[in-house]
Amino acid sequence: MLDDSEQDRCLAELMARAQEGDGAAYGELLRLVTPRLRRAVKHRRRLEPCDVEDLVQDILLSLHAARATYDPTRPFMPWLLAIARNRIADWARRHARGAANEVANGELPETFALVSANRLIESFGEESFGDGEALARALANLPPGQRRAVELTKLKELSLKEAAAASGMTVSALKVAVHRAMGALRRALGTKA
Amino acid sequence: MSIDTDELIKRLSADVRPVSRLAPPWRRAALWLALSLPYVAAVVWGKVAIVDAAHVLADVRFLIEQTATFATAATGAVAAFASTVPGFDRRLLLLPLAPLAVWLASVGAGCIDDWLRLGPEGLAIRPDWECLPAASVIGIAPAAIMVLMLRRGAPLYPRTSLLLGALAVAAIANFGMQIFHFRDASIMVLIWHVGSVAVIAPLAGLAGERLIGWRPLGVSK
Repeated sequence: MLDDSEQDRCLAELMARAQEGDGAAYGELLRLVTPRLRRAVKHRRRLEPCDVEDLVQDILLSLHAARATYDPTRPFMPWLLAIARNRIADWARRHARGAANEVANGELPETFALVSANRLIESFGEESFGDGEALARALANLPPGQRRAVELTKLKELSLKEAAAASGMTVSALKVAVHRAMGALRRALGTKA
Repeated sequence: MSIDTDELIKRLSADVRPVSRLAPPWRRAALWLALSLPYVAAVVWGKVAIVDAAHVLADVRFLIEQTATFATAATGAVAAFASTVPGFDRRLLLLPLAPLAVWLASVGAGCIDDWLRLGPEGLAIRPDWECLPAASVIGIAPAAIMVLMLRRGAPLYPRTSLLLGALAVAAIANFGMQIFHFRDASIMVLIWHVGSVAVIAPLAGLAGERLIGWRPLGVSK
C-alpha cells in the first residue's frame, strides 16, 4: 500500500500528464480523487447524498477550469483541497442565501377561521374558484411567452437576469411580458390592479 | 444533478486539452510590469517637467516615495497573482503593506513639511485640470492587462485578487504621474493620487466575481 507522500507523487504525475493533454491519465486522476472529495465534502457539511454529488461535481469542474494553475513540483492534494474548500464555502453561501428566502412550514390547510381569508382570490363569484385551480387555468390561457415569463420570475423566483438567460428573452422583453401577464391574470381572476 | 459523477469524469477526460502552466506569481508580476511600464511611459512622455537630474536625485523624499510606489505596484501584483493559485501562502497577501505604509508615511511627512514651510497655503487643495486627461487614461492598459492575467488563474477570492490588482494598477499609474508632477505639493498627491487608490481599489474589489468568477466550461453536468 502506498503511503500519503507516494500517493501524492503519483497524483502529481497524473496531473502533469493531464496538463499535457493525456485524457487517460486525467480520467484516472479524477477517479482516484473523487472518493477523497466525497469524504472532504461529507466531513465539512452534513448533506443529502444528491447534494454531496452535486458539490463533488462542482469541485471536479473547478479543478478542470483551474488545471493550468497547478505546478507539478508542488504537492497535489493541498492544491486540490484548496479548490474543494473554496467551492464548499461558495456552496454554503449560496445555500444560506436560498434558505433565507424559504419559509419552512407544514401542511396548513386553513390559516384563518374566516373561510374567505383562506381563499386566494377575494372577489370571486359563483363561478370562481378562489384557489390555485383558477390561477392555474388563467396561467394556462396566457400566451406561451407570457406564461414562461411568469413561471420563471414568479413561480421559480429567478432573477430577471437568470430568467432572461433561461428563456432567451432580453431583460426588457421579459419585464414587458411579466407586466402584461400580471394584467391578464388580474383580469382573468377579476381582481383589482 | 443531471448526470452521474462517472459520466462527468468521462466527459472531462475526453475533453481535456493541453494547457500551458501558469508561471510563478513573481514572474507574472514582472511580465505585467514589463507590459505596463512602456504604456505608462508613453502617456507621460512629453509632459515630463524639465528638471535637473541631479536636483531630482538629491531629493531623498521624492526618491523614497517613488521607490515605495513602485514597490507597492510590484508587490501588489505578486500578491494578486498569488491569490489565484490554489493553496497559495496567505502571508503573500500582506506583501504590499510594507511599501504602502512607506509610501503613505512619505506623503504624510511631505504634507507636514509643506505646512511648516508654507503655512495653511501649503495644504491648499486645487483641482488640477491639466493632468486630468493623462490621469484618466494612464491606468487603462495596466488595468486591462491585470484583469486578463488574473482571469487565467483560479478565482478563489475574486474580491481580494481584484483589490490587490487595483492597488498595483493605481500604484504604477501614480508612479508615472509623479514623474511629471515632480515636487507637487504633498497634499495634492495625498488627495488626488492616494485618494484615487482608496476609491478605485475597493470599487474593483466589489466587481469581484463579475470580472474573474468561475466560468462555465461548456461541459454540462
